[in-house]
Amino acid sequence: MALSTVTLPSGFLLPSIHAAPPFFTQQPNATTQASATGHWKRLILAFARFHKLYTLSLADLEDTKSPWANVLRNERINRRLLPPYLSAILQDMNTSNQATFEPPTQKTSVLLYWNTPEQWADILYDWGVSTGQLNTILTFYEITEPALESALSGIPVVLLKKAIVLLQKNGRAQVISVADGEGVKLLPQTSVP
Amino acid sequence: MHRRSAGLASLSRLEHTTQSYAQLSHHLSTTQISSLHAQLSQFRTALSAFAYTHRDSIRKDPAFRHAFQKMCVSIGVDPLAGPRKGGWWAEMLGLGDFNYELGVQVVDVCVSTRERNGGVIEMRELVGLVGKLRGVGSEAITEEDIVLSIKTLEPLGSGYQVIEVGGRKMVRSVVGELDEDQTVVLSVARENGGRLVEDTLIVSQGWTRDRARAALDNTLLRDGLCWLDEQDETTGHAYWFFSAMDWKE
Repeated sequence: MALSTVTLPSGFLLPSIHAAPPFFTQQPNATTQASATGHWKRLILAFARFHKLYTLSLADLEDTKSPWANVLRNERINRRLLPPYLSAILQDMNTSNQATFEPPTQKTSVLLYWNTPEQWADILYDWGVSTGQLNTILTFYEITEPALESALSGIPVVLLKKAIVLLQKNGRAQVISVADGEGVKLLPQTSVP
Repeated sequence: MHRRSAGLASLSRLEHTTQSYAQLSHHLSTTQISSLHAQLSQFRTALSAFAYTHRDSIRKDPAFRHAFQKMCVSIGVDPLAGPRKGGWWAEMLGLGDFNYELGVQVVDVCVSTRERNGGVIEMRELVGLVGKLRGVGSEAITEEDIVLSIKTLEPLGSGYQVIEVGGRKMVRSVVGELDEDQTVVLSVARENGGRLVEDTLIVSQGWTRDRARAALDNTLLRDGLCWLDEQDETTGHAYWFFSAMDWKE
């Protein structure tokens, strides 16, 4: 049997290992399992980045309409990821800061960090600079749903807030209360440390 | 009738004759040695000149390189040997570097695929991956080149070995022997496209279930040479040997 890469209708290229039946089983050999988890994590983050997906949860396993269906199952070889395995992968991603359980009180759904909050902070600040919106009060809505599509279009507010907290820490942003909630003011950097 | 004369004069004459003979024989052997030296250096020059003239062909053309290697072996010149670092090839052709470079690439491929295949890779796949690593446009690599470059790794005690499983060459990069049953397991897996279940071994090899299970579990758990598939349609418990599968990356 030949294992080859598969291009999904969306244009995403599935790696050849996704066509290997045992890829969907948790491996009893620790070294092999570490390798398999690594492959899964890379695949999940690459797919999320490609489709701008921000969350992955155990519920996606049961939902054939989920945007994740083509990754979590391979109909061509009749294999699918089972909940205990995905749960272990999510746990691992949470530990290695490639995702975080969101909300933090549960362990079935994660917010994916195909960009870390640090990277999102830089993206947000650079966007503010390049669109000339420093010293302007921006609502979260104006950032997540900008008139002109940006890298931040569609970013979940919870992730946006994490990025803003980081900007606040080094004095690049200020959170301001606005009429219908919160807004942020990006501040020009006075001196380069 | 001549009679050997007695006396002191005769004795000294005898000594003189012996000395002459010794001198002559010394002279002869010196001439022989120097002529041998001359021949040897001539041969060396010729071989060097040949190697130098065909340097590019040797480096670029695998068939030519193989023929040259065979010639060196048949006349008793080990291209890898030599008192100097890198040996004669390195000195003459920069081919020592070629082998070292290839050796590094072989290690690279073996190590990076080890987690997947447990440290056993089929020669054909290795050749393909090394070729890919060297990039397009670079000279083609053959099995002989790989074998030779693995030989250059020997002094490092790396444990790289070319083994034969079911008539196919494989390169093993993990220390430790495959036991006899595992060799059989690997070759049966190859015949079955990488998938193996206990029953296949019981039917084709006449093993008991315990023996089949032990061999497979050793291979899976201890050596990580195969992967487990618990969603197998027929048995719900199949073993997959990535090193025996056909990967079209």
